[in-house]
Amino acid sequence: MSEPILEVSGLTACYGMISALKGIGFYVNDNEIVGIVGPNGAGKTTLLESIAGSMHIKEGQINFLGHQIERWPVLKRRQLGLMLVPQEGNIFPLMSVKKNLEVSVILSNRAKKEELIDRVYKLFPVLWEKRRQIANTLSGGQQKMLAVGIGIASNAKVMLIDEPSIGLAPKLVTKLFETLKKIKEDTRTTIVLSEQNIKVLNIADRLFGLEAGEIRFDEKTENLSRDVVKDLYLGSIS
Amino acid sequence: MKGRYEKIGTILILLLPSLFVFKGGYLQEVTGYVYLFLIQGYVAWFLFFKSGQPFFGYSVTMAIGAYATIVLTEMFQWPLFVSIFIGAVLATVIAVIMFLSTSRARGFYVSMASFLLAILFPKLIEALQPITGGRSGLYFGGLTALVGYKTLYLLVIFLTAAIVAFFLWIMGTKTGRILTLISENDRLTQTVGLNTRKYKILAYSIAGFISGFGGALYVNYTGFISSVDIEVFTTLYIFFIPLIGGSKVFYGPVLGALFVILIPELLVPVERYLRIFFGLIFILVIVLLPEGLAPNIQKLLRKMNPKRA
Amino acid sequence: MILNGIITGLIMGGILSLPVLGVAVIYGITGIPNFAIGVIGVFGGFLTWYFLSFNMGIAILVGVVFCFAIGYIIQRILLTPISERGGDSTLFFIVTVSLGFVFEGLMRAIFPRPSISLALPRIGTINIAGVTVEGFKIFALLFALGTLVIIRLLEEHTEIGKSWQATSQNLKLAKLIGIKTNRVFSIASGIGCALACVGAIFWGSLYNLNLMTGWDLGFLGFIIAVVGGIGNIWGGIISALIMGMVMSFSGYLLGGMWQSVILYFIVILVLIVAPKGILGSERSL
Repeated sequence: MSEPILEVSGLTACYGMISALKGIGFYVNDNEIVGIVGPNGAGKTTLLESIAGSMHIKEGQINFLGHQIERWPVLKRRQLGLMLVPQEGNIFPLMSVKKNLEVSVILSNRAKKEELIDRVYKLFPVLWEKRRQIANTLSGGQQKMLAVGIGIASNAKVMLIDEPSIGLAPKLVTKLFETLKKIKEDTRTTIVLSEQNIKVLNIADRLFGLEAGEIRFDEKTENLSRDVVKDLYLGSIS
Repeated sequence: MKGRYEKIGTILILLLPSLFVFKGGYLQEVTGYVYLFLIQGYVAWFLFFKSGQPFFGYSVTMAIGAYATIVLTEMFQWPLFVSIFIGAVLATVIAVIMFLSTSRARGFYVSMASFLLAILFPKLIEALQPITGGRSGLYFGGLTALVGYKTLYLLVIFLTAAIVAFFLWIMGTKTGRILTLISENDRLTQTVGLNTRKYKILAYSIAGFISGFGGALYVNYTGFISSVDIEVFTTLYIFFIPLIGGSKVFYGPVLGALFVILIPELLVPVERYLRIFFGLIFILVIVLLPEGLAPNIQKLLRKMNPKRA
Repeated sequence: MILNGIITGLIMGGILSLPVLGVAVIYGITGIPNFAIGVIGVFGGFLTWYFLSFNMGIAILVGVVFCFAIGYIIQRILLTPISERGGDSTLFFIVTVSLGFVFEGLMRAIFPRPSISLALPRIGTINIAGVTVEGFKIFALLFALGTLVIIRLLEEHTEIGKSWQATSQNLKLAKLIGIKTNRVFSIASGIGCALACVGAIFWGSLYNLNLMTGWDLGFLGFIIAVVGGIGNIWGGIISALIMGMVMSFSGYLLGGMWQSVILYFIVILVLIVAPKGILGSERSL
């Protein structure tokens, strides 16, 4: 339990001359929900993409399940058990819901495939109802569920989710977060999500705050007050 | 200041081969040929690389100038200089029509449309065989008969130098700077409040006129033109002149023209392998030296001559 | 004469639809317009011709497999790396045309004759409403339509087909869920070139193949795909059939010289009037 399965140290990443991450270090334990909070432009997306491999990093180490993966291509990290659900462009827009899920289980064996797809349908019954519908005709909330469903279908050990609550009605956010908690408990999946919604306090085991490419705090959720988290967002505005 | 020396140097180098006229023969003939393509190369340099207009119809504008000159002089007995002028104007009109008609389409379709025109045109020439001679071509006395071969050679050199000087001059004027701005960021230039359409039409007109004039000059110098000479590959060769030489510097097209026209002359004994060689060179230049030869030759010179750098 | 024209048009369109399909597959999946596929296909046609006296089946196989391999390799070592570095369509236009130069040059250098005609066996004749048509031409048309149906079925019902669709719709996500997108690209390019080769073999047995045919097939394939809405396979087939008709009738009415002039003229018009093609583009299969 206390052994970290994902450990990042000294992570630096730049867009041209502008550095987006300035030496980030953190760890994620097995079967834990970790929230990355911070204002817009803090580097949350960059951090998740660097871990998943779709963004090139300048310096630093990423250790996952005992492997140094920072120079690995996306595919190899995926095979080892990392999966990123991006904030945008996270579904295959012109395919049916069913096909979206079918293609997402590509790395699993035949028996496992059915099980994974069934699991998604159980967690999100609405996707089962709409399984024949083309993905881009779903509502915003349903598309988000499908995106998370694709993440689940990928059967990752660590699922990275970039801002799942963005653009969702408050009621749906609560529901989605409950589902994430259920995923963690049912399948022992570790979830790292970046968030701006304060409700993340309800599900995360641990939170750390990111601002201007640096880590501001890293605490267990029960030790954190809502005000500290709120301060981080408001701090950048005032 | 450095830019000015580069410009003057380019023009002086261009004038140098006028001395070949004393030697005559093969050297003179090939040099004239290089210069005729150099005109087209600078048109491509100006329109595609400096003004950012995705135009691939250089062989078309060139051919219109050439054919109009022949047809008007030989068939309608018009005076030669009037025919040349009308030919250049016709090429201008076609270039501008091409721009106006494709201005609604997105970038790549514009280059596609002009490139298809370059494919279509030789086929049209062949279909119009009774007038144009098609594949067997047309012979033309023109200026050669009028002023003699050596004078014409000198004329080609001086006209080319003048045209290049014009292009170099215009890139330094306000118009040139606006065209550069358009090529870098079209939308931004519009939002600044400039009428980009006007400047683009101007760019197409200049390019069309000079390309058509160059075509007329071409047919006067070679004395012959057929549909084979204006195949779609001609447009590509012309396009590759600034690309290979390096589009960022003023003398880039000169290097490119030397390369594109002289290498085939040197490779005549192994002509069957020419296309392979060219294709590979083009790919290598695009992949390895996206800025063309010129900047890399500069680098090489600096390396060999560390003192001067 | 009208019926005759329609039948000729259908057959021409059917054969043309093979390179069109090739262009649509490559562009639909990789997003790269490849203008060299016609030349590569004709190169395969020349290879088939070279081995034809040996054994017909093997000869065709050699040509098609060779084209698949070439398509695979150029995508792997040239086009995918360029697109990863952020190449735009105009750059790919230049690069693929240069590739076409290389293969045209190879054809010139390797094969003893610049113009060939493939002597494939004829399958008798069929009489349709008073017009006699060679069985082989009907076979060519059916083959083209059959290929279309097979590709459609493949992408709907097989895992590899689904990963093609996924790659063409959302490249980034396809990578994230673990599809080997580079391999998908290479296979798509290989299939495209192989289809162009089959098209060239049919063309070469009905008409003839020369050094220029490859450019004609490639550009015609591309522009017909554009007219149909590039990447939209059905649009491509329909416009291939229409263009076949145009070629056939303009050939009858004005003579062979005008055939391609009219064709290119129509295409330029379509590009100017409806840049997205007559059926619109989905940029997916």
